[in-house]
Amino acid sequence: MSDYTIIGKRMPRVDSRAKVMGKAKFTADLKLPGMLVGKIKRSPHAHARILDIDTSKALALPGVKAVVTGKDTNGTKWGVFAYTRDQQFIQVEKARYIGDEVAGVAAVDEETALKALDLIEVEYEQLPAVFDPMEAMASKTELIHEDFPDNINVHVNIDTGNVDENFEKAYYVREDTFVAPEESYFQAEPYAVMARFDHEDCLEVFCPNGGPHMKSKPLSNAFKIPLHKVKIKKVAIGGAFGGRSEICPADYICALLAKKTGKPVKIEFTREENTIATRQGHAMITTHKTGVDKDGRVLARETTCYMDGGAYSSTGPIAASVPFLSMEQAYRMGSVRYNGYRVYTNKPIRGMIRVHGRGFAAGLDTQLDMIADHLGIDPVEIRLRNSRQPGDYTSTKSFVSSCAMDETILKAVKKSGFKEKWGKLPPFHGIGIGTNSVQTGFPMGIRGGSQSFIKFNEDGEATVMSGVVDNGQGNDNMLVQIAAEELGLLPEDIHLVSADTETTSSDPGSYSQVSTFVGGHAVKIAARNCREKLFKVAAKVLKVGPEKLAARNRLIFVKDDPEKSITIKKVVRISLLNFNSVNAEGGYWPEVDMKREWVKNPYGQMCEAFSFGTTIVEVKVDPETGKVDVLEVTAAQDVGYALNPLVLEGQFEGSVAMGGQGGMLTEYHEWKDGRCINPTMLDYKLPLACDMPKINNIIVESVDPKGPYGAKEAGMSIAMSAAQGYSAAVSNAIGVYMDSFPLTPDKILLAIKEKNEKNQS
Amino acid sequence: MRLPRFEYLEPGSIKEACDLLSTHGDDAKILAGGTDLLVRMKKGLLKPKIIISLKALKELSYIKKEDSYIKIGAKTPIADIIASDLIQKEAKALASSCEKTGAVTIQHYRGTIGGNILQDNRCHHYNQSAFHRSGRQACHKDGGKICYARDESDRCNSTCQSDGATALMALNAAVTLVKKDKKRTIDLVNFYSNDGIMPHAMEPNELLKEIIIPLKGAKSAYHRLACRSAIDYPIVCAGVLIKPDRKNKIRDARIVVGAMGRSPLFLAKVSSSLKGKSINDTNAFKKASRASMDSAAAFAVHNIGASLEYRCQMVSTMVFRALEEAARSAIKAEQ
Amino acid sequence: MKKIKITLDINDKPFEVFAAPNNTLLEVLRDELDLTGSKESCGEGVCGSCTVQMDGRPVRSCLTLALEARGCKIKTVEGLADGDELSDLQESFIDHGAVQCGFCTPGMLMSADALLKENPEPDEKTIRKALAGNICRCTGYAKIVEAVAHAGNPREHCPDCKTKE
Repeated sequence: MSDYTIIGKRMPRVDSRAKVMGKAKFTADLKLPGMLVGKIKRSPHAHARILDIDTSKALALPGVKAVVTGKDTNGTKWGVFAYTRDQQFIQVEKARYIGDEVAGVAAVDEETALKALDLIEVEYEQLPAVFDPMEAMASKTELIHEDFPDNINVHVNIDTGNVDENFEKAYYVREDTFVAPEESYFQAEPYAVMARFDHEDCLEVFCPNGGPHMKSKPLSNAFKIPLHKVKIKKVAIGGAFGGRSEICPADYICALLAKKTGKPVKIEFTREENTIATRQGHAMITTHKTGVDKDGRVLARETTCYMDGGAYSSTGPIAASVPFLSMEQAYRMGSVRYNGYRVYTNKPIRGMIRVHGRGFAAGLDTQLDMIADHLGIDPVEIRLRNSRQPGDYTSTKSFVSSCAMDETILKAVKKSGFKEKWGKLPPFHGIGIGTNSVQTGFPMGIRGGSQSFIKFNEDGEATVMSGVVDNGQGNDNMLVQIAAEELGLLPEDIHLVSADTETTSSDPGSYSQVSTFVGGHAVKIAARNCREKLFKVAAKVLKVGPEKLAARNRLIFVKDDPEKSITIKKVVRISLLNFNSVNAEGGYWPEVDMKREWVKNPYGQMCEAFSFGTTIVEVKVDPETGKVDVLEVTAAQDVGYALNPLVLEGQFEGSVAMGGQGGMLTEYHEWKDGRCINPTMLDYKLPLACDMPKINNIIVESVDPKGPYGAKEAGMSIAMSAAQGYSAAVSNAIGVYMDSFPLTPDKILLAIKEKNEKNQS
Repeated sequence: MRLPRFEYLEPGSIKEACDLLSTHGDDAKILAGGTDLLVRMKKGLLKPKIIISLKALKELSYIKKEDSYIKIGAKTPIADIIASDLIQKEAKALASSCEKTGAVTIQHYRGTIGGNILQDNRCHHYNQSAFHRSGRQACHKDGGKICYARDESDRCNSTCQSDGATALMALNAAVTLVKKDKKRTIDLVNFYSNDGIMPHAMEPNELLKEIIIPLKGAKSAYHRLACRSAIDYPIVCAGVLIKPDRKNKIRDARIVVGAMGRSPLFLAKVSSSLKGKSINDTNAFKKASRASMDSAAAFAVHNIGASLEYRCQMVSTMVFRALEEAARSAIKAEQ
Repeated sequence: MKKIKITLDINDKPFEVFAAPNNTLLEVLRDELDLTGSKESCGEGVCGSCTVQMDGRPVRSCLTLALEARGCKIKTVEGLADGDELSDLQESFIDHGAVQCGFCTPGMLMSADALLKENPEPDEKTIRKALAGNICRCTGYAKIVEAVAHAGNPREHCPDCKTKE
């Protein structure tokens, strides 16, 4: 057992009180004197050359304060990587998807702004459009981006060698293709941004983000102002799930309108805009070819995946890699060859999402079940025979230090009664298992580390500064917990200043599952450094060596003689009287291979830790309607160390909803000529309270040697493995291995019908 | 999302409402619960100059038994219908359909039975924002000459997804419409027009006053399929009514299939095929269900989510389940 | 558009506001009265983020005209606490970890509060049904359901229930 007082405890979140009172301010709730309403004019065509834009009528409308178009920009293109700079914030030459930004308006109120949008006349020349990655690669019509031949945006090739030789040696080889359409984030909060230039010409921006520093740099580039003049401010954020990490053209347009009008401007997206004009999850077509030995151990694997990337690169190189990396982390693979193609189409832009690669992962696990079936091994056994072990190197040469993959499998199996149920359930009643692994961090170059500052106030309370952002997952609480633990204070004694580019140092952001591991770590180190200063002063007063001291409950005391103590407040005041302020900094930079690059060199240490998750799902299928009733879900994850089990369980449960219930049963987008048919919450089927199953949470702790208190990524391995578990359970219930996701009733019914026909003939 | 501008009128009596309708007719729309109308207005699908609110017309909210009829005021909240013992007992199909409509927080209070059965037809190419509908030709329902759901179609193929309409048509209900100095009662079968653009026969100056359900000693049931167990509109539904005689033979049957066509489909031929069959005749039910599927399939297009093939297939399952339930409760009543 | 002066009874206080006929209750609450606790997420009556109570019943303020709210007792999330003292339900949401991003929370609380007023000890199924019109994207609902069930009814086995001194 640990002797922590605050870490590891079920601590209610510090931000909850403001949220249950309706006091927490989200971007749309903000109001500034003189604030204007901004709106964006979007292309209604999937692929069209912009011939002319006439804004005169809009400008003449009373109440309209500014209209901006591509002419107001310097035309530079933005991209996450130097080699993926392909997106202008307002299109100049052509629009590449229905929703692409062509102009912006600022007016005194929403009604006027909307009227002005209608008065902007855009003359387009429509171009042939492509909506499918295979079609896009074969297309001979005008490329979506002229410098990307065959509309291939990114090609990731990984080859560990000996793949063909090992297929030769394999006892059993099979190749299967799996498909899944696009999915969406549907964060509760529709995207919104408020911007203004202050009295010092600094750009101040409020918006939901996955890392404020990821927003400030592109804005500093676009406006050609130094980074210190771009202030991304902290605001409550209504969910991100990977979809709010990058700069959004609306951020730029809002700032440009603010600049032009000299007034604060706020743009609030409609639900439809949030769906089509932020990011979506990629549609994927994945072929896995796997060769195993007699015992079901994978000797060789070849995977080819075509991803529908939409109109722009976004995080293309990362997106093209992560589904594969998650699987190569989860399973030993002998030798492997991977080709991932992210292809441009005239559809909304695709980015990273919590269940990125559901068809990819569910396909790989389904195939593993097929192989097990063929060899007469059960699904648990084949996973245990291929599972990642501590001390391994992954296929792409990342060392895996902490790993309790097997423990997650075994504990989930026990809790769910998998062994007792497998093969013994009545018809249309099934159970399935999925396993996955998620990386705790990506190689991020100069933005890979985080730094924290702590200062004590004369009342003995502390202010903690950190670049970590809270999208809703509880990062603020995590930072407070760590600081309070290390400083010997109570959570209410900590004032957190975070996610603000003016006051906090660079941080990788929350989108690579690294907030605790890197940002939390930095706070821990800063707090330790600060505590050392306190101990030095206290040691003199208590007349013992500083190494003999401990801090807890606002006191510094002698470890062997706890009666001998002094309040932290007193220590701070003594320090100040001796002309010393009490403050400290601390930083953490993960030791990753800086030469590793997504496309050019996808080998080397990816991150310092990996999480491992197992989800077991039990379902009943109605053979007459194909509807799935999920009876119980058991989720087990190796999170390294649980800093706050209460928050962690919430991550597990949310992951089951998004990755499993929604990801595998209901959620997908439908299209008509590049138009998204279901951009709303009525038509896109998010799971509801009344449809969610009982969830058993199992926290497994491998105590990572590098993570703060041993912690690493938490939750996402469940989102991923839940998708796999759901698909395995349905397949088991109906006796057909499914190759198209999500598993909607029509597909299930068709599979049952085909199976019956096959059995009869 | 904002509502377009309009003038708001709040008549204090039915007569006053009728007067306003007769003055403003086409320019006006009636507002009851707003769960259908206001959403369509927000999407720019209609821009009435005048909204006539029924807020003050408490006299339009009632459930009562008169002679051998149940009479329901048009403005009766859906929650009241679910809570009514009379309807639970005598018009089960309607009670079930209301239980399935929307989510409790919408049903509870705002949603009304009149609004439910007068809700406009839907199509996932039409029920979209003004932005979505721009940059392409307007569809039939939107004032154009094209159908995105069925190529080359010369008419609108929007779908009636009202739960209440399907259930009430199975119950052989009628509606009473009033206008200045006039009143008419029309069977639901004739009320729905099978026209996607104007799905029912209500005139612009008419007001839906009442729904009348005849009590015939029959048993009814309603089954529907939707993606989720709340919020969603049905992708296919079936309302049925069975009236057995003393020997447990079916004297009268009504099968209505909803969410498959431009209006709820009363399948007269299939319904009458059940006449004279035993109330326990599962095979007859199966046959009727398959025949319902064959009849209804011709009307449906892929325009409300879920594949068309699946929806067609599910007609048979929904009809069968509804028949079984109605038969079971008839047998139970007999015992 | 001509705005009409109306009086709304919100959280037991009368408010005089100018509202246009096409203003929804949600717009008036947020834009005119700065009661921004009620949120707009879908704008079409599906997600439940804008849920407020009218005469004790949960309704969608995004599909309610401000003019139609006259004469009703309106309660918003800002009216749940008694000054700084949170209601049992609010406390329970905090203690059970039912709040993540918090955007759906106000609407969720208003639906749950209305349920508990009618049925102080609802079972799990009843709670899930009552919250079926409130979409949460973060929590998977488990902790929300628990928080509603245990609000004012602390359970012995529950590690997150706090018994009041």
